[in-house]
Amino acid sequence: MTKTDTMVNLRKRLEESESLLAMTGCYDGITNLECREQDPLKFETIHMKLRASCVSAREIARRISASPGVREVGEMVAALYTPEGDAIAISNGIMVHVHTMSRFIKWMIKNDYQDDPGINPGDIFANNDAFIGTVQVPDVMDVVPIYHEGTLVGWAGAVCHELEAGGITPGGDVALAQERFGEGLFVCAEKIGLNDKIRRDYIIRCERNLRMPIYWILDEQAKVAACFNMRDRVLELIDEIGIDFYQKISKEFIEEGRRTQLARVRQLTIPGKYRANTFYGHVTKGKPGFQPLGDPDWLYSIPLQMDIQLDGKIVLDFEGAQPWGYHSMNCTPAGMDGGMFVTLTQHMNFEGLVNDGAWLATQLKLPEGTWTNPDSEFCATATSWALLLPAYGAFQRMLSRGFLARGFLEEVFVGQVNSPMIEMGGISQYGKPFGIAHFECAAAGSGALAIKDGLDTAYVGWNPESDMGNIEIWELDMPMVYLGRSILPNSGGAGKYRGGNAFMSTWVINKSPEVRIVTSEHSSRVFDNAGMCGGYPAPTCQMHRVVRNSNISQRADARKPLVHSTGLDQNELTMNLEGDHQIIEGPHITAPMKAGDIFTHSYNGGGGYGDPLERDPILVLDDIIQGQSSRVHGENIHGVRFKGSIEDTTLEIDLPGTMAARKQLKDERLQKAIPVSDWFENERGKVIEGSFAPEVVKMYRAAMNLSDDFSDEFRTFWQLSDSFAFSEPKQGEDKHG
Amino acid sequence: MDRNQLEEYKLLVDGQLPWPQTKNLMSSYKDRDRFFKILAIYQDKVQWQEKILLPIGENLFIVQKGKENIVKCTCGYEFGDYRQNWKLQAVMVVRKTREDLERIYPHSDVCDPSWMEIREFICPDCGTLLEVEACSPGYPITFDFCPDLEGFYKEWLKVPLGSE
Ligand SMILES: [Zn+2]
Repeated sequence: MTKTDTMVNLRKRLEESESLLAMTGCYDGITNLECREQDPLKFETIHMKLRASCVSAREIARRISASPGVREVGEMVAALYTPEGDAIAISNGIMVHVHTMSRFIKWMIKNDYQDDPGINPGDIFANNDAFIGTVQVPDVMDVVPIYHEGTLVGWAGAVCHELEAGGITPGGDVALAQERFGEGLFVCAEKIGLNDKIRRDYIIRCERNLRMPIYWILDEQAKVAACFNMRDRVLELIDEIGIDFYQKISKEFIEEGRRTQLARVRQLTIPGKYRANTFYGHVTKGKPGFQPLGDPDWLYSIPLQMDIQLDGKIVLDFEGAQPWGYHSMNCTPAGMDGGMFVTLTQHMNFEGLVNDGAWLATQLKLPEGTWTNPDSEFCATATSWALLLPAYGAFQRMLSRGFLARGFLEEVFVGQVNSPMIEMGGISQYGKPFGIAHFECAAAGSGALAIKDGLDTAYVGWNPESDMGNIEIWELDMPMVYLGRSILPNSGGAGKYRGGNAFMSTWVINKSPEVRIVTSEHSSRVFDNAGMCGGYPAPTCQMHRVVRNSNISQRADARKPLVHSTGLDQNELTMNLEGDHQIIEGPHITAPMKAGDIFTHSYNGGGGYGDPLERDPILVLDDIIQGQSSRVHGENIHGVRFKGSIEDTTLEIDLPGTMAARKQLKDERLQKAIPVSDWFENERGKVIEGSFAPEVVKMYRAAMNLSDDFSDEFRTFWQLSDSFAFSEPKQGEDKHG
Repeated sequence: MDRNQLEEYKLLVDGQLPWPQTKNLMSSYKDRDRFFKILAIYQDKVQWQEKILLPIGENLFIVQKGKENIVKCTCGYEFGDYRQNWKLQAVMVVRKTREDLERIYPHSDVCDPSWMEIREFICPDCGTLLEVEACSPGYPITFDFCPDLEGFYKEWLKVPLGSE
């Protein structure tokens, strides 16, 4: 083994860096930003250069990739790290991975990779193990060490979200995985290349273990090319400014990032205690493929507390969260980190100079044994976004409460939404096996703002540059033809400003005898995208409407109109198509479909902001005219009264009628409303009796078993004795948790 | 405060600021004294005299009333000490039947009422919908925000709480 870097023991260096942080409170013990003080302009210029090299490396990689997820939707990020694995500069894209990659590098250092398998010039390392450092199996990351004259001076890293991971169900987010062993191809901090070349045996392993290896393998080439490009830029910069100065300044960037984050919090928010909770509901009873390890149907609560300390530190606590389970929706601390990081970049560090310093200025409390920090590394995390999206949407609402209180109304944002995605595989239109995740989900509705409506079909939390991709590109990669892609009316939560609307797609399966369609992160039975300040949550995601053995081709032959969506009343398919009509609640896990079958899938909209009765009637009218909402919606929720009709384009607002209706609706509210104290007495009785749905009781019982704080709070709120507990389940009723 | 900026912020508070200006406001550096500027606009809009210390919702403010700091609605209704959850002094409508839910979610799929309910917290005086909770039956009412009011004024703003 060549020992190129004999001088520095990386693990000792990392430990030293960590203890310097603990001792001084500053990154790597940097108490003075000397480079910045000497020449602030040079300081900024060099940081911008490094960031530019990340951004351009990502663009290069997007042009190498074969995957529409990377090419079209931009599911990729590139970043530069210190030798210890702390991010200095990052590109745009799926910034969720900046700190997960950091964990991966640190994991290798802590596990003495320097000794075995060695960290040498030209090496390429890859990882997609969430317990080492990523979010889920499809997030495959590659890092290469950067050496300058025999000294390790940093790392370049890149992540692509893969569209096929070779799991128990096709696609990347393997919904059916109930343990790690069904999630697909794992690469566990593995040296996959030497001398700037990916190993042939690694490629053969990918070819033989994936349904659509071309995506993964070309993405590997793309990421490695991006890393080499960044490496070259760093070495050029070192030639320009000298190695000592580079090493000094790159660490100062991180300490500056830490200080900036703290200052931003003090500038934009209010110190104090913020709380929120959100929920996830999973419905799989009776669906094929589930092993009897856990409950098929379950309801999880996600309670959050955010403390903003006087020094500007944000502490986010998930105390009271549910235990991990035998499903794919668990998340590791790396994933939880990532969710927080990508959210912060959008609210506090949007000018692009963000790095791991921001992460150092925050703290996550993830109770062990919960689905935010599982104590079993056998558990699956393939669809951890089902936890991350609602959780960090709630985080955004808490932050936004701070912005509102501080007067920065333009920053208030009801937040990201949970929205389901489609995974599929089978035989392609070209007669070959295939598998793909359909990434048009990267364009859901956003939550509302405090000053305007949310974005329609244009936002997801994990990638701030959302894009649904062109229909024609997706049609090249899957045996399905679009019959329509349309706005889903009323899908944003109502409010003075409504949440952004989502869209639905309608397809006919084309030229394939077998397509397995599995949808994931599909929360049913609960509203998981809440509103704020009187705004309502978005509706639950629409169920799947499916027609097997449809007569669509006969209709086409007869030149009759096709169907393009399920329509406002969900009856377009039943009215116009013959065949076996099915409505599927929750994730779509059924027998394979075939050519001529119709499949529909809807995404989620965002929560609303403010009392819907305060919405400008003109906005209500506009929405109806544009098909963003229905007339009944405008009448029931916003109290707007109309004259004329939409059909003959004479629809207008009846202003006196609207004012009277709004007054009446407010009066009705007050007549119907009861004092909270009355409600409390009645509800308390139900709590004592435990007279809730079994899934609800189970959720409370699980949270109380795991958390004394949650139990105390629950008992205090309901004025119960210290020994109060929900009764244990009858035998056979409970599987896990 | 500069007159143009005052007008701009009034429009912002009313949701009337044109998008190019809003975008500009979002992208540019944040003014350090924004808090007091916005506070003055709110103070001007409300009909009552108590001094606003902190906005905490679209229609809710923490105000100084005598020696107490209380939560007050735009309409003037008082919810008591800000360190207690104002929601407990509100009136509420709970939607826990499919029919009640479908009324506000026409044409959409709704939650299963046995798994989740909608709680509407309403001002007992003006009937404004102040906050909506979507949670499972039996879930304790959430106390959304308890600011460190003293710390904020003393440490961050460097002015004594309640003074000009
Ligand atoms: Zn009121």
